Amino acid sequence: MLQAAPEEWTIFEAAHLLRRAGFGGSPDEIRLFHSMGRRKAVESLLAADEELDAFPLPGWATSEEAAAEARERVAQARELRQLTRDLSPEEADRKRREFRQKQQRTERQHSVEGQGWWFNRMLRTHAPLREKMVLFWHDHFSTSFQKVKQPVLLMKQNELFRKYAMGSFKDLTHEVVKDPAMMLYLDTQNSRKGKPNENFAREVMELFTLGEGNYTEQDIKEAARAFTGYQINRLDGTVTHNKRQWDNGEKAIFSKKDRYDGDGVVDLIFEQKSAATYLPGKLWEYFVAENPPQEGVDALGKSFRAANFRIEPLLREIFLSKAFYAESVMHNQIKSPIQYLVQMLKELELRQAPAAYILSAQQQLGQVLFMPPNVAGWDWGKAWINTNTLLSRYNVAGFITKGSQDDTPLANNDDGAMMDMEMDRKQMRVSNAMQRAAQRWEGPDFERIAPRELREDPEKLVDALIFRFFQMPLSGKERETFVEYARSKKGAIFTNKETGELCHLMLSTPRYQLD
Amino acid sequence: MKTRREFLRSTLLGASATWTVPMFVERTFADLHMGARDLATQPVTGKDGTILVVLQLAGGNDGLNTLIPFADDAYHNARPRLAKKEKEIITLGDHVGLNGSMPFLGSLFKEGNLGVVQGVGYPNPNRSHFVSTSIWETADLENRSSTGWIGRYFDNACSGSDPTVGISLNKTQPESFGAMKNPGVCLSSPELYRWIHGGGEKAQAEEFFASLNSPEDDDDSPVDGASIDMPAGGRTGGIEGESNLAFLERVAMDARVSSAKILELAAKYKTKVAYEGTPIARSLNMVSRLIAGGMPTRVYYVSHGGFDTHNQQVNSHDRLLGQLDRALKSFFADLKAQGNAERVVLMTFSEFGRRVAENASAGTDHGRASCLFVAGEGVKGGLYGKYPSLTDLDQGDLKHTVDFRGVYASVLEGWLKTPSKPVLRGDFAKLGLIG
Repeated sequence: MLQAAPEEWTIFEAAHLLRRAGFGGSPDEIRLFHSMGRRKAVESLLAADEELDAFPLPGWATSEEAAAEARERVAQARELRQLTRDLSPEEADRKRREFRQKQQRTERQHSVEGQGWWFNRMLRTHAPLREKMVLFWHDHFSTSFQKVKQPVLLMKQNELFRKYAMGSFKDLTHEVVKDPAMMLYLDTQNSRKGKPNENFAREVMELFTLGEGNYTEQDIKEAARAFTGYQINRLDGTVTHNKRQWDNGEKAIFSKKDRYDGDGVVDLIFEQKSAATYLPGKLWEYFVAENPPQEGVDALGKSFRAANFRIEPLLREIFLSKAFYAESVMHNQIKSPIQYLVQMLKELELRQAPAAYILSAQQQLGQVLFMPPNVAGWDWGKAWINTNTLLSRYNVAGFITKGSQDDTPLANNDDGAMMDMEMDRKQMRVSNAMQRAAQRWEGPDFERIAPRELREDPEKLVDALIFRFFQMPLSGKERETFVEYARSKKGAIFTNKETGELCHLMLSTPRYQLD
Repeated sequence: MKTRREFLRSTLLGASATWTVPMFVERTFADLHMGARDLATQPVTGKDGTILVVLQLAGGNDGLNTLIPFADDAYHNARPRLAKKEKEIITLGDHVGLNGSMPFLGSLFKEGNLGVVQGVGYPNPNRSHFVSTSIWETADLENRSSTGWIGRYFDNACSGSDPTVGISLNKTQPESFGAMKNPGVCLSSPELYRWIHGGGEKAQAEEFFASLNSPEDDDDSPVDGASIDMPAGGRTGGIEGESNLAFLERVAMDARVSSAKILELAAKYKTKVAYEGTPIARSLNMVSRLIAGGMPTRVYYVSHGGFDTHNQQVNSHDRLLGQLDRALKSFFADLKAQGNAERVVLMTFSEFGRRVAENASAGTDHGRASCLFVAGEGVKGGLYGKYPSLTDLDQGDLKHTVDFRGVYASVLEGWLKTPSKPVLRGDFAKLGLIG
């Protein structure tokens, strides 16, 4: 058990918890959260009162419509086959290409909508910890639109993560092993007896459950045999185990022998020692700090196994621990791009931002929802920041605070040069079209954030904004710089534009990148 | 164009008492902590020096279908669906040939400007993408190093120099750039590589920006030894032992110093050579523009991804190699047109090769030894190392015949003219690739 923190807490500690266990909030929200007291505040995060289906999915992502769409596609494909039979090879080729392109357009449209749906959910949810855990699972069990190509499957997976957000890691792993998006991502669906595909077995042990070095090459090869024969029904997205394609021979995994299938391997994995410590280590890095101390991980590992791999007690222990509020921990985590965006919007009391712009911002900052770079998920911490992404962060803050009245290349960028992948570029074009609709972005309501009377008192104004954006006292020099600016604007010209500029300056700082 | 030193000098001397950019900058830089001041006043690396371009093939390139042992029956037997027929191969010798989708590299080989290293790998290889990439980038088989091999080159040979000594055309900074002092900079699109502020209040806004994005001498200066909880990164291009805030401040300053310069240079040169629209071609195009503009950069880093070909490999792999080949063709033609071809050597690498036998999905799984290319006029072309046996395998994998650190030693000593021992932390036999 980690050493617990006392019940009484400061407003800065409350703000810290709300940022790390969620996406932060406005000054009023922080004050309310603080007034609950530490323990009640933690419980309010763990037992948030919001239905799983509180945010209706886009139509195409519901089971009924997805099934209907899949049937429709099959029918169209059949039609196409018949049609092309009587055409010249060139004509037939053209028809097929058209058909494919139409499908890809639909998928791109869907993926953009899915990305917007989840982002908005993070922004508006009353269960922020749950969404933060969904993001954790998405990074942990990483899969991408780029390879899976069927947005509906990733949305389904997203719902799975939400359902298990704080539940049993073991149960979730059993589910993920048979999750169609994951299977497509790691090419499991045509791994069969005799020639197994090792990819899946390797990543399950290396990245999902045990960590590198806690299994042997032999374990991988044998487990790959166990993972053969799983197949996806493309029509309804269900997964079945085809016993004829399954290698039902005896396998020796972790020195145990049996005729294991995929579930058998997962059960075996959770008997391994590192299954209890691998995930707590990652959760520590996600919520607390890099390089978790060994004692901390061991303590959490014990609790984790005792709780039969349930996440909720683990999170309670972390958020009530003394270590979580240590001076070296507070304000020392580099915000992920998603955290940066959602939190900034919340701090500016915005309930939404131009969807296409937000997507483009994710691309430039290096974290696009549903598009992690590889099966290991995103690299966190300092890896978010380089000269390129830091300037992009400052410019995104400029657009959000000041709107599109400035001629920012970011707002109407047509150059796909920063895109890594084909898919990115295509998606970029879609978003560019939508982006034009975002040109009228007016920015936050500065009358509310920085009322006129406050602008008469530069020191008070700056302190209010510092609490809003940093939730900590700033050093004399940093604060003085902002005060000097506010003072120079005091009087007739301190319009919303200058207020926006002041906010942009505050957000264009190294300090603002830290949570 | 300004080096970091010139940048500081001009702003220090140009200070005035009014509310202008220099005043704030002066105020801030006068307060620079010692470490940053040292960094900021070192001389810049010469801009006429030799240049190394490191090109990563991310995902584990299948060496067997890149450099094809067409004369070996074992190859054809192990890959009934993937094996290349002789007519799909650009023959390089009695035993091996290049994948037919790389005609440019074929002609480069015939002209004597392509070194092909066979059987590259390292002892006790790791088949994890992430660990193995890390091993290649750090040149540390134990995978414990917090600095990268290129970063150590910067530290040892270009100490304290201009931040643009290394430029990565990536969204993320490569681990190989991890350094104690100077990890280089990273950019993806020069048009956006600047701070964009509001319209009319430009000067004033810039002044604040400058002031707020410079290191301060408060409690967050880099610390030696144990006063930081845990040794921080370096693995991601950060400086070892630096707090997150100090790291952010330094990146902010490097961004400020380099952005004006890069913007200016990238806008200046217009290439006459046509490049494809692929990401790798665009990255190489940018490298060529920056070289033409006279950047003092010694090492550029670009990535070409998608080589994790577990499934239906043939088409995707050939396509990737074709994209690589066409991008290199444009790049070298462009360098020639600028008169910089003699200054540039390009080296590819990938974290590992694939298994000899294909899998059930007509793809290949993670393996070990592979091949790599070293290209340029400074290269002594030919085949290096020994092609690994396809029958004497280690758990279905090729055994390596050349340690990748020997390739690094060859380019460090032969091309960048720097002792390789402190960079690689050991002696590795050079291959004679350069010269």
